[in-house]
Amino acid sequence: MTGNPVLDELLKIVLWGTLVILFVSVNALFLVWAERKISARIQLRQGPLHVGFQGTLQTVADAIKLISKELTLPKSSAKSLYMLAPVLVFAPSIAAFLVLPFSPEMPMRDLNIGFLLIFSLTNVTFIGVFLAGWASNSKYALLGSMRAIAQNISYEIPLLLSTMGVVLCAGTLQMSGIVRAQEHGWFLFNGQVIAFVVFIVSALAEANRAPFDIPEAESELVAGFHTEYSGMRFALFFLGEYTAVFISSAVAVTLFLGGWSGPLLPPPVWFLLKTYLIVFVVMWIRWTFPRLRSDQLMALAWKVLIPFALLNILLTALFIQLQRSLA
Amino acid sequence: MKAWLVSSVKPDEFAEKDPKSGVLFEALVGREHIREVAREFRTQGWFLESISIVDFAECFEIVYHFNKWGVARRACVKTLALKAEGEAASAPSISDVFRAANWHEREAYDMFGLVFEGHPNLKRLLLPETSKIHPLRKSFKGEPKGSDVEDSLRLIQEDTEGFEVRYPSQLTKSQKDYYLNLGPQHPSTHGVLRVLLHLDGERVLDGEPVLGYSHRNQEKMFEIQNYLACWPQFGRLDYVGAMAFNFGYAHLIEKAMGIEATPRAQAIRVLATELNRISSHLLWMGTFLLDLGAFTPFFYCFDDREKIIDILEMATGERLTYDYFRFGGLDHDIPEEMLPAVKAFVPEFKKRLKDYHKLVTKNPIFISRTRGLGVLTKDQALNYGVSGPCLRASGVRQDLRRDEPYSIYPTLDFDVPTMTDGDVWSRYTIRMREMEESLKIVSQLVEKIPAGDVTLGKLPKNVPKGEYYSAVESARGAFGIYLVSDGTLNPYRMKLRTPSFCNLSAFSEMIPGCLLSDVIAILGSIDIVLPEIDR
Repeated sequence: MTGNPVLDELLKIVLWGTLVILFVSVNALFLVWAERKISARIQLRQGPLHVGFQGTLQTVADAIKLISKELTLPKSSAKSLYMLAPVLVFAPSIAAFLVLPFSPEMPMRDLNIGFLLIFSLTNVTFIGVFLAGWASNSKYALLGSMRAIAQNISYEIPLLLSTMGVVLCAGTLQMSGIVRAQEHGWFLFNGQVIAFVVFIVSALAEANRAPFDIPEAESELVAGFHTEYSGMRFALFFLGEYTAVFISSAVAVTLFLGGWSGPLLPPPVWFLLKTYLIVFVVMWIRWTFPRLRSDQLMALAWKVLIPFALLNILLTALFIQLQRSLA
Repeated sequence: MKAWLVSSVKPDEFAEKDPKSGVLFEALVGREHIREVAREFRTQGWFLESISIVDFAECFEIVYHFNKWGVARRACVKTLALKAEGEAASAPSISDVFRAANWHEREAYDMFGLVFEGHPNLKRLLLPETSKIHPLRKSFKGEPKGSDVEDSLRLIQEDTEGFEVRYPSQLTKSQKDYYLNLGPQHPSTHGVLRVLLHLDGERVLDGEPVLGYSHRNQEKMFEIQNYLACWPQFGRLDYVGAMAFNFGYAHLIEKAMGIEATPRAQAIRVLATELNRISSHLLWMGTFLLDLGAFTPFFYCFDDREKIIDILEMATGERLTYDYFRFGGLDHDIPEEMLPAVKAFVPEFKKRLKDYHKLVTKNPIFISRTRGLGVLTKDQALNYGVSGPCLRASGVRQDLRRDEPYSIYPTLDFDVPTMTDGDVWSRYTIRMREMEESLKIVSQLVEKIPAGDVTLGKLPKNVPKGEYYSAVESARGAFGIYLVSDGTLNPYRMKLRTPSFCNLSAFSEMIPGCLLSDVIAILGSIDIVLPEIDR
């Protein structure tokens, strides 16, 4: 370190930024490979085998292919918005890494509203999704982004409501604070089971994962909001999706599964292990269920998830108040 | 019906026929009576099976085949449309009496230029709307570099064939509804089908299938080929369930020639057809669930289908477009290793069926996506001439293997599953149960395939003069062929009544009011094969 605080800070930002981008790319490559392997195992197949050991380099080859592909631009699209959309989907997911607590020392910024920041940032991606559909000027893309907006608005509510119980228990919005509050037991086993289930279901929907992938719905809308995208722009959507899955899982781990805490292994390893476990469950769900219809999706959010999330807040609040009055 | 026809319409000709010919009676009525006749058939619960046109020197003969499910009772009513100099031949339309007639009449207009008076939407069905030819007329000899080729090329360049793109700037502010071309390139139209959807948001106001993208005019090809050369085309009609189409043609010609296949050939035919039926339903199931967004069952279905294809490859040497049957028998005998393979497959597949039920049938999302969706009532189904699993799902217990028994089906033990709801869920359940029934047939047959020859030896190359109609039950429904033979080496006219054609015509009835996702589910549940529709 140079001793100059400004320079130090700058260096830290550059270093951390590079690390995050590196991690996001490698993570996406790994997740795509894992998804292929997991889906293959579920579907009586072998998955990629030929490029690298067990096909590990297959996704690298695909990435090279995507980078070298032509970037098409539909004639009737709103060009600047069309090009902006993939960036808007991808960039916020990187920014969210700012506050993810990999270990006690590792969040770049341990903001006291880190929790809110993550949710605000992940929501920006939906503006990108909407823009992608709107700017493409294609009916399928428009339908896809229409569905995405409806889905986002509906599922944001249960997602945030389900985390309120945790916040009540922890008494802080700081990510590391929430993890520390779980030193005596994960929130999942301390009465937040309903919240965990609601969170996972809503997070699946927020990340556009099957069975909630109606904005993409390739059998209905061809490819939904990114129908008109090709090459690296398409790859950015893809990266954004896998990063979103990772972030959702990481937040679930932080809120419910005790974050980095665990015996023997160093904290970041525990954090990643738990996160990838959740990611595995997410993939498992994707390859097992048919897709919901959009109205059923809305009904699930408004009629099932939100009431349960509210009930959870009520019960948690009552419980905490009882505890306090007894103590 | 017979008595009514003779007494009140006083047909110009009336003939009772041998029930074995597939038609009970035949009547030639004046064109002024045809609507009256159709209405009476409708009130008495008959439905329209097909409309065929035959081009004779001075007139077009319009042949209506009416049928009544149950033990098949087929009636053939004909009328003539005289050719006049300078004006188009015409006939009254019966599309308001039988909805099924709508597409049949459009096809007739398309192929023969025959105008149906009173038809609500008389435009071309299989050829592009700008086409100027009527290819099935005997006077049409083909024009390889003719107007149609040029027109098609122009169309591709100008992109005006109803594909007009509407940009937001051109939309008025109050306009909420819009059109969406689902296809011809779309992952879920199972081929090159275009569905022109009129949507309000995602809600479907109405929709109309647009056909003809894989049209090859096989009926014209039949007319310029001899009977033997027609064989390979049948495997290419319904490429998923090609055996049943082989069966249909073999059955027709054998009936016309008055011959019967050898017992061994009969048994092998049924065995192969039922195996093919299972593989066809498996392919349907996989792709249907893919339409619903479930990926995994697709691979399970294809795994099982692969085993069946391997077995059929042993017998036929082909994996998809089978061309295995011959008049009076088969192309060649099955190899020794085939029967053990079938025997091994039966218990394996039984286990697999249980897996499918666990994976799919009991899935709550699957049930909520399919229950009560795309309902086709019994009356609607009959009105549109729907057949096969779609009809059985609507509560009509009809299966030509039972009702119009052919080959060795009467000696076999199997059920015809029926359901009453007529929704997507019922169609799914029916096909699942049909696979079990087909498996039952296979396991019965594999034990008792008689020894002997599989061919009858040399046969005459022509079919005796006359008219013949035969129908068999394919995986998708009743596949009928109407043959007019003039005793020469080529068929004079061979009309195919394909099951998906009629089943798809009922599609417009099922979709209004549902969502875009449901359109895909309903389309998948009908189980269409495009080359068979477009022919």
